[in-house]
Amino acid sequence: MSTTPRPDPGPLTSRNVSALLRDTTPWLSCDECFERMDTYAEALVRDPRHQDEAMAAHLRGCAACDEEARSLIQLLETP
Amino acid sequence: MTAVSRDEQRSNASLVSPPSEVQEPMDWVSALAGEGPQQAVALRELHALMIRAAAHQVWRMRPALPDPSPAAVDVIVNQAADEAMTALLGKLHTFEGRSRFTTWAFKFAILQAATEVRRLQWQHREVELRDFDMPNAPAHEHPELYAEGNDLAAAVAAAMRQVLTPYQRRIAIALLVDGVPIDVLADRLGTNRGALYKTLHDVRVRLRAELTANGYLPVPRGSSPRRASSDSTSRVSPTPTAGTP
Repeated sequence: MSTTPRPDPGPLTSRNVSALLRDTTPWLSCDECFERMDTYAEALVRDPRHQDEAMAAHLRGCAACDEEARSLIQLLETP
Repeated sequence: MTAVSRDEQRSNASLVSPPSEVQEPMDWVSALAGEGPQQAVALRELHALMIRAAAHQVWRMRPALPDPSPAAVDVIVNQAADEAMTALLGKLHTFEGRSRFTTWAFKFAILQAATEVRRLQWQHREVELRDFDMPNAPAHEHPELYAEGNDLAAAVAAAMRQVLTPYQRRIAIALLVDGVPIDVLADRLGTNRGALYKTLHDVRVRLRAELTANGYLPVPRGSSPRRASSDSTSRVSPTPTAGTP
C-alpha cells in the first residue's frame, strides 16, 4: 500500500462528480444493509415497485452492496 | 461436479423459488442446531445452497478474475461456500424468519464470493492513496475546467480541498475516482467495509452541503442552505464511532 501522494489526480470526470455528490441519505450502514438484504430482495421480487428509501440510498452509494443485492435478486428470480 | 454444473443445476425448486406464502420445506434452524442424522442432512443441503449462491456470484463477476477458467472458478466457489457456511452457522441464532431461510442463507454466500473475487482481482495491484497535491490551487490554474464548461467539476474539486480532511479526500479518490473496491481498500487499510462507507457518506454530506451553499446544488426542500460544519455529519449519521480516524 502506497500512501505517497502522486501528482494531482487531474480534472474530475462527470462520472466522478456524480459519484461524489450522490445523495446517500437517509443513512444506512453496510451492516444494516446486509441485515435487510434478504427481506428487501424478496419484497422486490414479489413487487418490483417495492420501495425502501434507506436501502435504495445505500445501494446508490455502495457499489459492493449494490452488486450483491442485484445478484441476490437475480438468484431469487432464477427459475 | 464443477461450479458450472452446480450453478446450472436447479435440483430443488422449492428451496430457491421466488418468495411466496409456501412454508419452508424444513425447519432449518432446528435441524441445523440439532444433532444426529437430521443435522447431517441439513448441513449437506445447506452446503449445496451455499455452493449454488457462490457459483452464481462468481460467474456474475467472472470476467474480473485473473484466471477465469472453470477449474479456478470451482476452487473459488467451494472456498467461498465453506467460509460462508461457517459465517452463517455462527449467526444461526439471529435468523428471525423475516425472509425464507434459503434467501437469508444465499446472502452469506454472495457476500463471501463477491469479496473473494474482488480480492483476487486486485491481489497483484498496488493501491495508492492519492491526494490533490495542490491544496490551495486557485481556480485559474485549471483553466481547462472552465474552458470546457466543467464548472461543477472545478467546484467539487475546490470543495474537496476546503471541507474534507486529507484522509477523507484519499478515501474518496481511491473509491470513487480510482475505482478501488471497498473491500479491497478496507483490507489494505486494516479496516472494514462499514467504516469506509461511513467515511464516504460523510464526504458526500460535506460536499453536498458546500455545493448547496455555493449555489451549485438546489437547496433540499424543508432546509436552508448552510456551510458544511464539523458537526454536520453527526446529525445525519447515527454511528459516529464508525467514521474517520
